[in-house]
Amino acid sequence: MNEFRATLAIVRRHIDRRFALDWAMQFTIVAAIAFAFTRTFAHPLIPLAIASTLAAASAAERSHAESLRRLTFFAMPLYGRQLARAHAIAPSLLALAIPAGYAFGSVARVHAFPVELLAAMFGTALVSTLVALSAIFRDGIRAALYVVLAAAAGVAVMLPWVLHAEHGFTLAAALAAIVSFFAIRAFGETLARYDPLPA
Amino acid sequence: MKILRAAGVSFVRDGIELVAPFSLALEAGAEAELLQPNARAAAIAARICAAIVRPTRGTVYVGEYETRLQPPQAKRLVGFVDASGFEGGAHALRCEVAFRADVWNLDKSAAQARASEILAVLGDGPYARAIALALVADVALVVLDRPGEELIPRVRRFVPGAGILHTRESDTISPAEPALLSAAR
Repeated sequence: MNEFRATLAIVRRHIDRRFALDWAMQFTIVAAIAFAFTRTFAHPLIPLAIASTLAAASAAERSHAESLRRLTFFAMPLYGRQLARAHAIAPSLLALAIPAGYAFGSVARVHAFPVELLAAMFGTALVSTLVALSAIFRDGIRAALYVVLAAAAGVAVMLPWVLHAEHGFTLAAALAAIVSFFAIRAFGETLARYDPLPA
Repeated sequence: MKILRAAGVSFVRDGIELVAPFSLALEAGAEAELLQPNARAAAIAARICAAIVRPTRGTVYVGEYETRLQPPQAKRLVGFVDASGFEGGAHALRCEVAFRADVWNLDKSAAQARASEILAVLGDGPYARAIALALVADVALVVLDRPGEELIPRVRRFVPGAGILHTRESDTISPAEPALLSAAR
């Protein structure tokens, strides 16, 4: 088994025309929000909350969930953790549209955007996406709770930076890396335990 | 050599026994039919034997691999065909074959040629396309979920040494009684 070749094949399958459209749409919507409200959203917590909420909702979106629940993926000779890594790449790339769009909208309006805020938004979006992926294989209230948890986790990891703690940005980046690692592990565990039953 | 061994396998979800306990053993090169009382039970039993769904009770071995502990190794030996078949058209099928070739680490052009060869014999249709997809890799066990009777001898042509297990709905089995293997040759 060539895991890299298998991973690449799964990523290529996710990154299709619809993915490009979703990326462009997400970028445009967030850019429009930033263009309209960047002066009002002076506190960094607001763009971070926007990034985490949108990233969590986008990763757990139902049609995306249905495509990942296809039997094809579960018949493949891969461990849950390998499948989880492969499945996480496309949503992570999609999540990057949010900070990119926000920075674009802000720059267009006020001709400036702090690099640290951009990096923090990237971290937030990534953490929220990776935590929200586990919602895909859950239904109803449990899925909704996972999305809420993902949105909260995305903001929470950046709190050391938002609250101006000493070495706050480094601490926030380290927290984001740790939470992302465990989120991927949890997603792998979810995939390994999931039984694709017929309707 | 036994390619499939299932012992005391059942599947329970939310307290409801969806698949009643069954046991079977299938030799490489042999065929067997697994009867189940309804379509859902047949589909779940097929997925259990293909290492896709984990049984609630009992153990399943594909070759020497226990499906709960070593699912990738077990899945690598299995070609699974779902009852719904493959609904995509010719282009989607070519993409799917290429995808499988990547995942199973096969030569892409050889995989496309094998799929075309299989379709030429089985005819075109969702189930035949799903069989072609399942057999692009060199498998030791073929699990067919509720196939047409006429398909099995034709599938055998492409996997002479593999075990073939297929499920079937049977009115003669009630959900309460064990759905045992009915035939092996």
